[in-house]
Amino acid sequence: MPAGRGINTQQEKILIVDDSEMNRSILADMLAEDYEIVEMEDGVAAVSYLRGHVMELSLVLLDIVMPRLDGFGVLEAMQQNHWIDDVPVVIISAENGSNQVERAYALGATDFIPRPFDALIVRRRVVNTLLLYAKQKRLISMVEEQVYEKERHSDLMIDILSHVMEFRNGESGLHILHVRTLTDLLLSYLMEKTDRYHLTMADIALISTASALHDIGKMAIDEKILNKPGRLTDEEFAIMKTHSTVGADMLSNLPVGRDDPIVKVAYEITRWHHERWDGRGYPDGLQGDAIPISAQVVSLADVYDALTSERVYKPPFSHEEAVAMICRGECGAFNPLLIQCLTENAEQLRTALTRDASETIKRTKLRGISEETLRGEGGGVSKRTLRLLDRERMRNSFFASMSQTIQFEYTRSPSMVSLSTWGAQRFNLDEIIMNPFTDRRILELVGRDSLEEIIQKMAATTPEAPELRIDCPLHYDGMARWHRVILRSLWSDDEIPQIEGALGTVMDIHDTQMHLMELEHKADRDTLTGLLNRASARKRMEMRMGDSPESHYALAEIDIDDFKIINDVYGHMFGDQVLQQMARSITGSVRSSDICCRAGGEEFFIFLEYRTDIERTIDRIFKSLCFTYKGRRVTVSMGVALGEDTGLDFDAMYHAADSALYAAKRGGKCQYQFYKPDMAGLLEDRRDGSVHHSQHTH
Amino acid sequence: MTLESCYAAMGADYQDVLSRLRSERLVQRFVLKFLDDKSFELLRSSLAQGNTEEAFRAAHTIKGMCQNLSFTQLERSSTALTEDLRAGGSDRVEGLFAQVQADYARTVEAITAYRDQPE
Repeated sequence: MPAGRGINTQQEKILIVDDSEMNRSILADMLAEDYEIVEMEDGVAAVSYLRGHVMELSLVLLDIVMPRLDGFGVLEAMQQNHWIDDVPVVIISAENGSNQVERAYALGATDFIPRPFDALIVRRRVVNTLLLYAKQKRLISMVEEQVYEKERHSDLMIDILSHVMEFRNGESGLHILHVRTLTDLLLSYLMEKTDRYHLTMADIALISTASALHDIGKMAIDEKILNKPGRLTDEEFAIMKTHSTVGADMLSNLPVGRDDPIVKVAYEITRWHHERWDGRGYPDGLQGDAIPISAQVVSLADVYDALTSERVYKPPFSHEEAVAMICRGECGAFNPLLIQCLTENAEQLRTALTRDASETIKRTKLRGISEETLRGEGGGVSKRTLRLLDRERMRNSFFASMSQTIQFEYTRSPSMVSLSTWGAQRFNLDEIIMNPFTDRRILELVGRDSLEEIIQKMAATTPEAPELRIDCPLHYDGMARWHRVILRSLWSDDEIPQIEGALGTVMDIHDTQMHLMELEHKADRDTLTGLLNRASARKRMEMRMGDSPESHYALAEIDIDDFKIINDVYGHMFGDQVLQQMARSITGSVRSSDICCRAGGEEFFIFLEYRTDIERTIDRIFKSLCFTYKGRRVTVSMGVALGEDTGLDFDAMYHAADSALYAAKRGGKCQYQFYKPDMAGLLEDRRDGSVHHSQHTH
Repeated sequence: MTLESCYAAMGADYQDVLSRLRSERLVQRFVLKFLDDKSFELLRSSLAQGNTEEAFRAAHTIKGMCQNLSFTQLERSSTALTEDLRAGGSDRVEGLFAQVQADYARTVEAITAYRDQPE
């Protein structure tokens, strides 16, 4: 994709900073055709412009020697403000002393254009730099989008679950959200503190998400016990305690997804979040680090939030009271390291909980960390974390690129399609396209036929069968790749439902499709000669005859004379070569629209359409099929049936050609015969075994 | 008078500039623009005031324009002056400036003649 030249992308903006008006004009002139140009006449003006517009810029072309603030000063300012991370800078200067160049590179310049300017060099370097950065930006936004999408989904699921739990347990719906936030924070602190649990950022995300399920087993507990205001009897408490094993069983009996990491983690949490560090918990009495760290953390988060929240049987404790009670061991026994995490970060934990717990700041956090990684500097993040994050990023981009799936949504009124950011970039489209069915760019991408098929099939969907699926090539970036488009129409609630729009995904299936077509091609062909095999030739013949039954057709059956002798005397390898040469002679003697087939063994046939004078055509073909190969004379016998004699039926034609061939063999080989009705009996004779013809084998 | 003979008159390399900017129209535009540039005045006044730093930048700008336009002769003298001023200026400045002045005059004369010729 040529950067900045796409019809659909808006023009990229380039800032030219040079004190010489002439230099600016020359550069602007070279680039104005493809880019939007902004000019600044010195470093101070450039920095003040950058302050407000850095995100709009795609590139800065920067002179070094300038009044007020020189190019190095501008670079330093760009570094301090981290603008250099977002906008590449290409130095333009007659200053080509190597230490000047070196200094500019050290300050973050991407490239160097020497003066005097050469239009070609300037344009090429600008394009190269833009391409490089566009790619990087695309990658970042792709990863962000994927991760964000994933988070949004799990956040939504947790919200739903919280509300369900709220109804059942009579707890505040915030409990699950609080536990999640606390789990996330405690694990982050723990990771800073120790490597003992080999936690990664991905693990932390997984555990905090799974923490929402910790009390899922309570669904199976009688509501009377669950919401009993007073103290539970021993018997009731025993029932209550089963919620951990019941919940774990629910997860391990899932029909699908049992092996999914999140289900495994959720199992640990659900089963063991009432275990105690000293081994006196339930259900299994695990002790110390025999309890998975996920369950340990959720257990502490659970207790802390229970203490600080109001319950039917108690008022809320303050944060300080709760921490003190936990430290005194009044509410269970916990991993001392976790207690440290709790007490050392008490203040942050409290702020995190008083904030609306559902409003997590994951997205900004993610963006911040990814920027740090790209800058290649640690900041407050340890090398290990960065490495882990890097791996997470790789994983996300890997999955994104593997699944090749692009989502879109169509609404009927107003008629528009919105594409996911990544999808829009992939196809060089805007994210929102009005009147998609008449949009020129959509038409170019999808093609008229496929688009009409989609419209037609969508109109044929019903609320009961809303899905449609189409495989078609999409055209973008100068190529055509096979994609599978799956659409699900959305219907109104009216008495007679109306289509209101559709959800859709687009998947790149090019490689699979190509493979299939190759297999299909292979399945249709004889491997030795590359000619069609009998079954596929028959299919094509029947199609041809069905399509235009008014045409004249001839079927010529060909058999190599004395092939058994060739094979026996010269060996199978030679025999194979003769077969291959025969195939070449056959295809060479007919038009490409004729159907050539190796029916088996040394038997071939040709199916051709003719207008007049089929005798001459057959004579010419026959002569070209008798040749000398490596000193050995090869001849054929040929039987020809005409459609007008037999009727347009494959079996009838084949049978007639076979009879004619047999007549040719009987006539002394090396000749051809047209089918005549009096030959009909010949084959029957042969089948009786009264006439033997050893060469005519299949 | 063609643009090429204008270049010849000022001791400049027309083929070189054309090969880089790739359009006679563009070359013509910037050659005419050269007349409007105030760098030479700035150079003269800065030298008169003893402002070496400003003089350096002005000389540097002239040098840069000459490179872009392939004004070979003026480029040579302005480069010499620029390098001397970069180092803070020596007793050779006066002589170097005189050469720049002579070349600048020749250049401006040639361009003016080209611009003012009857259609």
